[in-house]
This record gives sequence, structure tokens and C-alpha cells, in this order.
Amino acid sequence: MSQVTFTHVSKHFGDSIAVDDMSLQIDDREFMVLLGPSGCGKTTALRMIAGLETVTSGDVVIGNTRVNDIAASDRDIAMVFQSYALYPHMTVRKNIESPLVARRNGRLNSTERARRVADAADVLGLGDYLDRKPGALSGGQRQRVALARAIVRRPEVFLMDEPLSNLDAKLRTQTRLELVELWRRLETTFIYVTHDQVEAMTMGSKIAVMTAGKLQQVGAPQAVYERPANLFVAAFIGSPPMNLLEGVLETTQAASVPGGRVPVANPASVAAGAAVTVGVRPENLHVGGSDVEATVASIELLGHERNVICNVGPARWVVRQGAHDAPLHVGDTIGLGVDPDYVHVFDTASTARVN
Amino acid sequence: MTTEPTPTTESTPTRRWRNLGWYVLLTALSILVLFPVYMTFIRAISGGAASLFQKKPSLLPVATDWSSFIDAFREGNLGAPLLRSLLVTAIIVVAQTVTSTMAAYAFAFLEFPLKKVLFALIMGTLLLPIEVTLIANVQTMFDLDLINVTDPTFGRTLTALTIPFLATALGVFLIRQGFLGIPHDLLDAARLDGYSDMAFLWKIAVPVTRPIVGSFIVISFLGAYNQYVWPRFAVKSNDYDTIQIALRNFLTDNPNQLNWGFAAALIAAVPVLVLLLVFQRQLVRGLTAGAVK
Amino acid sequence: MAVVAARSRKAKEALMAYAMLAPLLAVFAVFAYYPFYRLFQFALFQKFSNSDEERFVGFQGIWDNLSSDEFTSGLWTTLKFMLYTVPAGLVLGVLLATAAHRRLKGIKIFQTIFSSTIASSVAVSSVVFLTLINRQSGFFQNVEFLNLERTGSALRGVALSSVWQNIGLTFIIVLAGMQAIPEEINEAATLDGYGPIRRFFRVTVPMISPTLLFLAVVLVVQALQAYAQIELLTLGGPQGSTETLLYKITELQSRTDLQTGASFALGLFVLTLLISVGQFVMLNRRVHYDN
Repeated sequence: MSQVTFTHVSKHFGDSIAVDDMSLQIDDREFMVLLGPSGCGKTTALRMIAGLETVTSGDVVIGNTRVNDIAASDRDIAMVFQSYALYPHMTVRKNIESPLVARRNGRLNSTERARRVADAADVLGLGDYLDRKPGALSGGQRQRVALARAIVRRPEVFLMDEPLSNLDAKLRTQTRLELVELWRRLETTFIYVTHDQVEAMTMGSKIAVMTAGKLQQVGAPQAVYERPANLFVAAFIGSPPMNLLEGVLETTQAASVPGGRVPVANPASVAAGAAVTVGVRPENLHVGGSDVEATVASIELLGHERNVICNVGPARWVVRQGAHDAPLHVGDTIGLGVDPDYVHVFDTASTARVN
Repeated sequence: MTTEPTPTTESTPTRRWRNLGWYVLLTALSILVLFPVYMTFIRAISGGAASLFQKKPSLLPVATDWSSFIDAFREGNLGAPLLRSLLVTAIIVVAQTVTSTMAAYAFAFLEFPLKKVLFALIMGTLLLPIEVTLIANVQTMFDLDLINVTDPTFGRTLTALTIPFLATALGVFLIRQGFLGIPHDLLDAARLDGYSDMAFLWKIAVPVTRPIVGSFIVISFLGAYNQYVWPRFAVKSNDYDTIQIALRNFLTDNPNQLNWGFAAALIAAVPVLVLLLVFQRQLVRGLTAGAVK
Repeated sequence: MAVVAARSRKAKEALMAYAMLAPLLAVFAVFAYYPFYRLFQFALFQKFSNSDEERFVGFQGIWDNLSSDEFTSGLWTTLKFMLYTVPAGLVLGVLLATAAHRRLKGIKIFQTIFSSTIASSVAVSSVVFLTLINRQSGFFQNVEFLNLERTGSALRGVALSSVWQNIGLTFIIVLAGMQAIPEEINEAATLDGYGPIRRFFRVTVPMISPTLLFLAVVLVVQALQAYAQIELLTLGGPQGSTETLLYKITELQSRTDLQTGASFALGLFVLTLLISVGQFVMLNRRVHYDN
């Protein structure tokens, strides 16, 4: 069993708090993505699992063992680094074999090691490159060597720290798919850190969104996308991001905002008159409605669709349109319509979702 | 030698003339730099006293007498000092590399009380070269019976020539810089792989910083082989001279056979010349490590 | 329990560190720190040849030595030697590096030639210069400017051999400094309309100024340590006119001279210290300028 559990875990570096009272359950065979902007504490959380950072308070448990005081090399984990961290002076073979030879206790014999290296190289298609050094490999190949070095240990938990960020866009898309296939094949737990919400959405079986050291929301990617728990998650997930506008809840059916009224559904726990922020995703707005008045500021053509950027009160909103919808021009005043089922309502003061 | 200025756009003939100008200047400067060596060579092969003290020294050899190289080697007994110098140099280079690497490891990767104080103390020895401490060190050597005027054995002399130089702050500084340049991810990966301190040092840290360690070795060799002041006062028998001192003694003992002395000087420079040609890149990197950010 | 584990881990790490430092510190203790202490010991006590008696002369005794004519003449000779070798070394280094820092076929050969004098030790280069400036047989035996047998010019002759020996070192260091200048900066300067000469003084020289400062310190330290060239070319003469501080120190090694010799050595140390501190201050100022 290889679930990973954080119980009230905090990590302080001097006076600054990198991870603040984080509790998170990562189930066996989960592909958990820790997602957040840089400096949000996601990498620190990952490094605490690895044993590369000590835990200031709280417990980190892998399987059924509290690992706070267990050395990094004695934990049943493997890690893939952003820079791949390959040993430049060793061949690919030696790099992959390194975790098997470095530790002195429980060392495998050389035949078994060779077999494991061959297996790992086979899985990642590195058979032809075993005698090269990392310097003679492409970025994608180096990334595979890093993965092979991780799987050769056959760990219960894989940790990955932005492993795709050094690849070009095309290779990144391809490797995303391969990583998910690898996860299915190995049937183990993956914990994956990224700031890229596309990676999180496409790969994770669950995502955990963090900011400023605090966990914001945990859930399946689609669930998080559809019901962001607070303003931060709402703004962070989705591209282009969710349109937001501060207003006042008039009744339980509508909020007044600068430039119009937005119909809302089921705002619980806030009374009429409360300050709220409404959010609508670009694809849930349509031109020709009468809920909100907007002025077209710019139009981005993307081929298959277009983004209409317009001024709504003090805010900039993006409306997603089909490429063949009636053309608009910069300066046009348009009416936007929304479906109340797709309007997200947040308490402006607490930033929490209220519907 | 990586970047050179890109030639500006100009017509080919102009550039050709300009390049020719540079070649002329570079050749002239080369002649200037090599002239002293050329003269030494000419003098070495120009035969004995008679030709040497002519009133009008000539640019061309007045004779081609290669025997002075052989004579110098034989008369000056240069073989043994050369070997001794190489032995002394080898001991110093190996010891300095090991002690510097170990100390650099502690300063780069370990945390311990008094770390900053000890680092400052070690760097402080750069202000105490052997020239400053010469008098006191000679006395210490007498006290330790490593300099013994009446009984200067080979063992004593070898120890006296090497022991003050088994450690150097420069090596600690250079190699520590190299270690600090190892990417953090690589250190973490090695930790996860489970390398012990020693295994990490010799299997990861040193191989990864090989260029810097190599540069240090070349500088260390140059310094040790070319030493003059310390051997001059630490060696009390001509039987145990290093090549630099042997060269001096040979020269002063044969004021009328300067051609031998000139030949001997060229012979003494051979090991370093070979080193320079083979390890030019490391040498450049090592010498410039402190100079270029 | 966790605290205990952490504490023992820390103790183990510290122990490991001290073990790694031990060989180095042992060497330094005996051959750097102890002799430094001993210099004071020698300098503070006057010994007598005929008895085991020694007399405490204190810092006054050191000061008396440092204000003697002997010391000041040595100091003066050392400073003059610096004045002859350091600026000439810098100028030659910049000249050769400027000439060799360009894209030409075969430039590597010229670069190797310019670096080559590094293969020659001080002793070797002194002998080499005998072929040029020896009064009886040198190629330039009649050049009075370098006359090794006249008090006014002997030091210049000695200095010239050092300048030549340092060519390789200064060339390598300045060239590396020039190669470290990003090509875009030269291109930007050219586009801004700087000619080659103005570009050299307005862009190249300021950009390599930290390199030149480093090099100046290296050359100064070498000048402070000059010995072999003096012994081989002039033996300190004529009339002591080429006796640098170090040369004088080496002549003060007998039991009764130790007090003077150690005082001089401390003077040499202070000189080294001042120059190093000077470099540190100047480098720091430059860092502030960068920010």
C-alpha cells in the first residue's frame, strides 16, 4: 500500500512559511498533481515526501510509516527532477543503475541489476543509448533517462518536480500522454508538481491546488474546473481564465454589477445585499444577451475560434466565440447573456464560493 | 578561447588588407616574445667560451655545436635533479589535490560549528606565503631535524622540500567554487540514490568538477616545479638539489661555459613546456578562475 | 526522539567535516600559523651569539628595525621593482591580448606563442636574460639603460626579465577577460557609432577592469616575492641597489640576525596584507557600482 498522508504539516524556512498546516490524503495508485503558482509551496511539499526537506511540524506518512525521521535514501520513493539531474560523467547505463549501486545495504547482485536496468531502458525505449553520456542526448532522451532511473528502483511512490518544463511544446504534449501510460502500466502512486494547469487537467486523476503555502482545493480535475472552491482556484484554473466582477447580491436570483445584472442560482449562506464576486467562464457567455453591457476592446483569432476581449465595467472579460459567428469590431457595444447555472458566486470578503 | 569579435561587414579586399596588417603585427609580437628564447638557443649551440665573449654578438649561430646540450646534461648532472624535481612535484601535487578536495568538500557540503572562522583562517594563509615565513620555517625545519647541515640525507631533504606544501588555500578555494557550482538537483538526486559522504565525494562531486580539479593540478604542478626560494634554503647538499637550484649552481660554477648554462636552462623548461602544450586549456581555466567572474 | 536523532546527525556531520579538514589544518598549523607566531617571537627578542641569553626588545625593537635605513632602502627597491614590473606587465598583457583576440586563421598558434613564457620559471628566465643583458656577452651588452653593473640601471635589467617571464600569465588572463565580454556589447557599441579606438577605451577597458585589478594584485605579489632573478642576475648588487626586502630577509638568517630578519618579514607581511585589503575594497566598490 502506498498512500501518502500529510497531517497538519508545516514547513518554515526561518521566518517564512513555505507550507502552512497542510492536510492531504493521496490514495494508492493516484496520479496526484500539486498545482499552483511558483512559490506556493508545492515543491516544498514534494521535497518533504522525498525527505529532501525536514518537516517543521505535523506528520508525513508513506504507506503506514511515519517518515519524518527516515533518511531520503531509505524511503520507498523515486524522484524525477526538473533539470533531470543526470550525472554528466556517467553513461546512461550507469545513470540508471546508480540508485541500485549507491546504497550499501540490500544491494542487488550484478546480474539482477543488469536485468533491472535493461527492463527500465526497455520500458522507455532507451536500449540504443545505454552507452552514451547524457551530454550526447536530446532533451527528450535525457528526460527518459531520468524516468528510467526513477523506475529502476521500483518504488511505491513516484515524485516528479515539473519534469516537462524543459521540453519544447510539441514534445511536452507527447510526453504528457506517455507519462499517463507509464502510470497505468506501473500501477503505483504518482505525485506530480507543476504550475501548468493544462498538465494538471490532462494528467491528474486528482489535483490539489495550492497558493501561499496553503492547500486551496482537492478534487478530480473536472470537478475543480466546474466548481472552484474560491476565487484563487477560479482565477488560476482555466485558460483564458474565468471572468470575474465584483457586485452586490440583489436577490437570491441576481447580482448587480457595473454594467448590468447577472442572474445567479442558489447562493446559500449569504443574504441579499452582500458583497459578492461573480464569475463566468469565457465559453459560458454569449453575445446578443441582455444581462451585461460590454465594449469590444480587442479580438484574438485562434483559427477554430476567437476570443473577444471586452470592457465590462472596470473589468476585462473574455468571450469565446466560434470562428464563424457574426463578426464584431473593436469599439462595438454588445450585450452579453449568461446562463445562471454557469455563474459562480464568491463572497468578496472571504473569497469562498457561496453557490 | 570561445568568442571572437565578428568581422564587421566590409568589402573582401579591405578585410584582406586589414587581416594582413594583423598578421604582420602578430608576427612582430611573436618575434619579440620569442627573441630571448631564440638567443638562448643560439648561444647554447654556438660553442664554448671563445665564441661567447665576442664583442659583437651575432643574431645567427656562429657554430652549430649541439654537444652543449649533452655536455650540460652530463657535466651538470641534470638528470638526477630533474627526477628529484619531478618526484617533489608529484608528491606536492597529489597531496595538495587530496587535502584541498577534502577540505573543499567540508566547506561546500557540510554544516559544522566554526565553519566561517575556519574558512577565513585557511584563506588567511594566502597572506603568509613561504617568502614571508621563510626565516621561521627554516628554524622549524632545523628543530624537526629535517634540515641537517652535517647529515643531509635524501629522506630528510625530500621531506623538507615537500612537507610545507602538502596543503594550499588556493586549492581549497578553487575546488570549493567548483563544488558549489554543482546543480542542486544533482546533489538531491545523489542523496535519494543513497550515496555515502565518501562515495559521493569521489564518485560524483570530483568527476563532475573534473575540469576545475584538472586546472588546479596544472597550477599546482607549475608552482611546485618552479619553486626556487624554499629549496634554496631548505636543501643543504648539492646532492639533493632540485632542478631550479641545480641550474643556478651549474651556472655559477661554470662562468666561462655559459653555453652550458643556456642549454641547461632550456632543458629545465622542457617538462613545463610539455605540460603547457598538453594541458593548455586546463591551465588557462585555472589561471583565470579568480580573474573572470 | 526525533530531536535526539537530529542532534546526533548534526554531530556526525560536524565530526566528518573536522576529519576532512584535519590534514590541511595540521600542515597550516605547523608551516603557516606557527611560523607567523614565531616571527613575532624572533622579532620581540634579541639573541646574542655568545650566550643563550635573550633580551626583550618589544614592539619598539621591531619598529627600530622597520625605520632603519636598511629596511627603507629594501622597501624602496621593492616598490621600484613593482613600479617597473606591474604597469609594464599590464600594458603588455593588454597589447598582446588585443592583438590575439580576433577571428583569424592560425590565431591559436599566436595565442600559444604568447602564452609560452609561462613555461619558464623565474630561474630559467633569468638565465635566458643573461643572453641579452650580460655585460660581457649579452646581445644588448652596450645598452646602458639595462646595465646590470651600474646602480641606477641594474634593477631595470632584473625587472625586464620578470616582465618577460610574466608575459604568458598576463596574456592568458587578459585574453580570458576579453573573451568574457558578451559579443552583443561590442556590437551595440559599434552600432552606437564607436570607432575601434573609442570602443577599446570606453567598452573593453572598463569591462575588463576587474580582470586587470586581479592581475595587478598577482603581479604585485610576485614582485614582493622576487628573489631568484636577483640572485642570478646581480646578487643584490651593485652596492646593494637590487636588494629587495625578501633578498635582505634571506641574508638575515643567522642566529644573531633573526630579530632583524623577523621584523623585516613582518614588514613584508603588512605590505602583502595592505595590498590584499586594497584589492578587496576596490572589488567591493565595483560590486556596488554594478548594482
